[in-house]
Amino acid sequence: MADTTKAKKRRRADPESSSSDQLQLPFKNRLKPDSVILESLHSLLKSTSSSSSTSSKPLTLSDLSLSSACREVTDLSLLSVQSAIESLILSLTHSILSGRGFSFNVPSRAATNQLYVPELDRIVLKDKNTLRPFANNSSVRKSTITAKILSLIHQLCLRSIHVTKRDLFYTDVKLFQDQTQSDAVLDDVSCMLGCTRSSLNVIAAEKGVVVGRLIFSDNGDMIDCTKMGMGGKAIPPNIDRVGDMQSDALFILLVEKDAAYIRLAEDRFYNRFPCIIVTAKGQPDVATRLFLRKMKMELKLPVLALVDSDPYGLKILSVYGCGSKNMSYDSANLTTPDIKWLGIRPSDLDKYKIPEQCRLPMTEQDIKTGKDLLEEDFVKKNPGWVEELSLMVKTKQKAEIQALSSFGFQYLSEVYLPLKLQQQDWL
Amino acid sequence: MGTSMETGGESPAEFFAENKNIAGFDNPGKCLYTTVRELVENSLDSAESISELPFVELTIEEIGKSKFNSMIGLVDRERIDEELYDDYETAKAREKRLAKEARAQEMQAKNAALGKKFKEQPAAKGMKGRGEASFYRVTCKDNGKGMPHDDIPNMFGRVLSGTKYGLKQTRGKFGLGAKMALIWSKMSTGLPIEISSSMKSQNYISFCRLDIDIHRNIPHVHLHEKRINDDRWHGAEIQVVIEGNWTTYRSKILHYMRQMAVITPYAQFLFKFISDTSDKNVTIKFARRTDVMPPVPLETKHHPSSVDLLLIKRLIAETSKQNLLQFLQHEFVNIGKAHAERLIGEMGPEFSPKMPIKSLTDQQIVRIHQLFRQAKFDDPTGDCLSPAGEYNLRLGIIKELHPDMVATYSGSAQVFEGHPFVVEAGVSVGGKDVKQGLNIFRFANRIPLLFEQGADVVTRTALKRINWASYKINQMQDKIGVFVSIVSTKIPFKGTGKEYIGDDITEIATAVKYAIQQCCIQLKSKIMKKMQAREQQERKRNLSKYIPDATGAVYDVLREMAQLHASKRKHYEEEDADILKKVSARLITKDTLTEKLAQHVEKVDYEMALEYATQSGVSEEPREYIYKRLNLKTNSSTSTVPSLFSD
Repeated sequence: MADTTKAKKRRRADPESSSSDQLQLPFKNRLKPDSVILESLHSLLKSTSSSSSTSSKPLTLSDLSLSSACREVTDLSLLSVQSAIESLILSLTHSILSGRGFSFNVPSRAATNQLYVPELDRIVLKDKNTLRPFANNSSVRKSTITAKILSLIHQLCLRSIHVTKRDLFYTDVKLFQDQTQSDAVLDDVSCMLGCTRSSLNVIAAEKGVVVGRLIFSDNGDMIDCTKMGMGGKAIPPNIDRVGDMQSDALFILLVEKDAAYIRLAEDRFYNRFPCIIVTAKGQPDVATRLFLRKMKMELKLPVLALVDSDPYGLKILSVYGCGSKNMSYDSANLTTPDIKWLGIRPSDLDKYKIPEQCRLPMTEQDIKTGKDLLEEDFVKKNPGWVEELSLMVKTKQKAEIQALSSFGFQYLSEVYLPLKLQQQDWL
Repeated sequence: MGTSMETGGESPAEFFAENKNIAGFDNPGKCLYTTVRELVENSLDSAESISELPFVELTIEEIGKSKFNSMIGLVDRERIDEELYDDYETAKAREKRLAKEARAQEMQAKNAALGKKFKEQPAAKGMKGRGEASFYRVTCKDNGKGMPHDDIPNMFGRVLSGTKYGLKQTRGKFGLGAKMALIWSKMSTGLPIEISSSMKSQNYISFCRLDIDIHRNIPHVHLHEKRINDDRWHGAEIQVVIEGNWTTYRSKILHYMRQMAVITPYAQFLFKFISDTSDKNVTIKFARRTDVMPPVPLETKHHPSSVDLLLIKRLIAETSKQNLLQFLQHEFVNIGKAHAERLIGEMGPEFSPKMPIKSLTDQQIVRIHQLFRQAKFDDPTGDCLSPAGEYNLRLGIIKELHPDMVATYSGSAQVFEGHPFVVEAGVSVGGKDVKQGLNIFRFANRIPLLFEQGADVVTRTALKRINWASYKINQMQDKIGVFVSIVSTKIPFKGTGKEYIGDDITEIATAVKYAIQQCCIQLKSKIMKKMQAREQQERKRNLSKYIPDATGAVYDVLREMAQLHASKRKHYEEEDADILKKVSARLITKDTLTEKLAQHVEKVDYEMALEYATQSGVSEEPREYIYKRLNLKTNSSTSTVPSLFSD
């Protein structure tokens, strides 16, 4: 068995990696031939596609009879966004002209106005609104910025062009002061108009990258993600221009960190085990989340996640899975259901004998975050996750993906991931 | 102790002469500073001990080299062999220096031409060899108790190791006072110290000129006589000539005087610096602002938890009590008769209440010590302490910093290792001569601490453990004054110079944090009120500031819509179409919107002002009292206590 692996390796990898090197990698001898591993992946794919085909129509908010009313946004055409802004501005004008000043009625995005719906497995926004009157010391700034953003979006609609959030900020730096303010109001505006942020024609700078067995069209150009070099293809910010997805991959591998992504991309992990590798380099941006959802929906592939073994890794996983509180109004379009937690899981630390010096003690803040996460519904619904997280809080140890490098830089792609896949060790 | 001198051992005076840095005599500058301190603190103690409001006059007089030489009867000698001296400049070095100066000048000219700001080149140091020392005559005059005529030589000319029997909150850190200054003057100038003193109801002034025989630790009296006392002065005047460094320690000495004035507002200080160059002269008067003096600290007995083996032995040697029971009962605080009996029972069968105290063996004393360490005793009370008092602290802060706002807090007595301590704190915001950010003022037993601030418990607490933002105080931009005064029978100083209190004592750290927080809580409500009031004033301006932006944004959209409407590319409802037509016809312009919105702002502002007036009318508090107080100060120089302050 070891022979075949070695033979395969020699064919596949560079001849530099000497056999003595490989002997040092622990657990290497437990690896079965790749064909066996692929077998298990095929079965995963089958079960995923069959489960998604049974409930072919995903649940929506309207299907559920929730006690409290919830708010959701939809993709709107440019014209309808324009009309929505115009009618809003006209009502403001009426109000100003009649001497009543003006105020915006903005859906609240505060934590108290969020609701996790277990049936949908994501966070949604409840229907509480806050009034943002102009003639008030505490809201005058925000309402002025809101008016300004509305007028800017209106211009985008007229000209039907896309700009970035940064562009938007630079139109009036003096008023916005810093970009977080204009960004926050931008989310308020999409909430208020009831459309997704992409419908406003405002995009964020590219952050996520994808590499692997995926072919899609970006604004008419066909992209083959196996031929994008080592860095992969930047995920396009406007998802509406992405289409024609094709793939022969067996799964999607979601990676938290850039470092692990580069390792996997350089080792051409996707050629050994056909897959698509995606990372958003930390907290995912809107474009990456949209892209992941689109892949999942169109290609019906299982999604496996490789994140750090710390509370933040799980948090990032939750953002992909059930959405962030900040963007909960659009959770329907941004979340990808059924993400499997592949690693690094707290139980892996002992299972793979990760040396003590590579583990880090959790700070007070980490432990608090971990305990808070244990209270979150999206964790509670998955007993396996609760168990892992409890273990993490109990041992008070965390480890980053890079901790695996203590066995050699390529341990991740050569041993850890194949072994995990072989054992079908995901939750 | 007397024996050790004759047997050839080191005399205490010798010990301190050799280790002068532990008493704060590290270098000439620090020596000048410490001399000032010791003299001033002695004066305050002396005046307070007879409940007299202190008046301290301190003069530092710079003495030039030739003047100093003439004082010691040395003839000024010109240098003949220049090359002999350390600061001799060889031809090569001179060339180098001139080239460097020329370069610097060129740079300056260039910078000036470009209009750039440039740092003033530090004036070329007038090369100072070791020989070029500066000398100062330090004179300190007070209105204190004075000293008995016959005791003066021994009070100054003999260094005694601390043989204080009881325990007391004292200002001095080593109890050496002027003796160290005398040793330093002996080491640096060789000139004697001059003491004038008179006690109340004495009709003469004792004058004494003496120096110290360091090796034998005895005073060497030059002159000791009685002089006439015409103006019935009582107190002491001490004059000592020492080597020092005014240039580098000027600010420290001035800070010391200023902070001393903060913590001792009932004292009057007159500080003078006199030199040949008149522009360097300084005269500062720190006026007395109150005549309320804190009580004199009381001497107290030791707390059983605080004594060590040596101390027990000394207490046994010095006690007048006969048996163990009486000894325990009378030589310690918080041990009653019944308690003492129980303790003796616990010590073991070989102890009995009636056993003579002097018969205790070393082992038995160790046993007593062990029990003292393990047994539980009531905490000592803070009665023996004399904190500055909240009122005095507050007054001192207001007087010296003129802050916009101030809050003070006085904690109750707490205990650390058997020694009671009291923490008082004051926090001020704003003021003159206060820099932005945190300004920390530390006091221990009512003397300012100026050195080694970084490691001090107060600094650490204020910087790291107080969340200023939660009290609406901006740590970076507000001018914050933090004053913490700790008094105790034993201050747990750290470092050789006893210049800071360590951060590792939880009891003190917690008390300091709590005291500062209490001040901040008081300030917060004041700041909030002020912010509200300011908001009221600025609301209209703040709202109006945004009118052009808001109406501009709305109008931009309207204009675009009007164009679309005019070109019939889009259809609008009737009422809306009406507006758009008006926009096209320029009947509605940006100015129209601005005007309407401004009217609305005006109306809202009026309504809210009315509402605020009705609300704050109900719960009016004297929130401007500091300003009232400051006005009051300019009118009257007497220090009556306005009731406004006692909140």
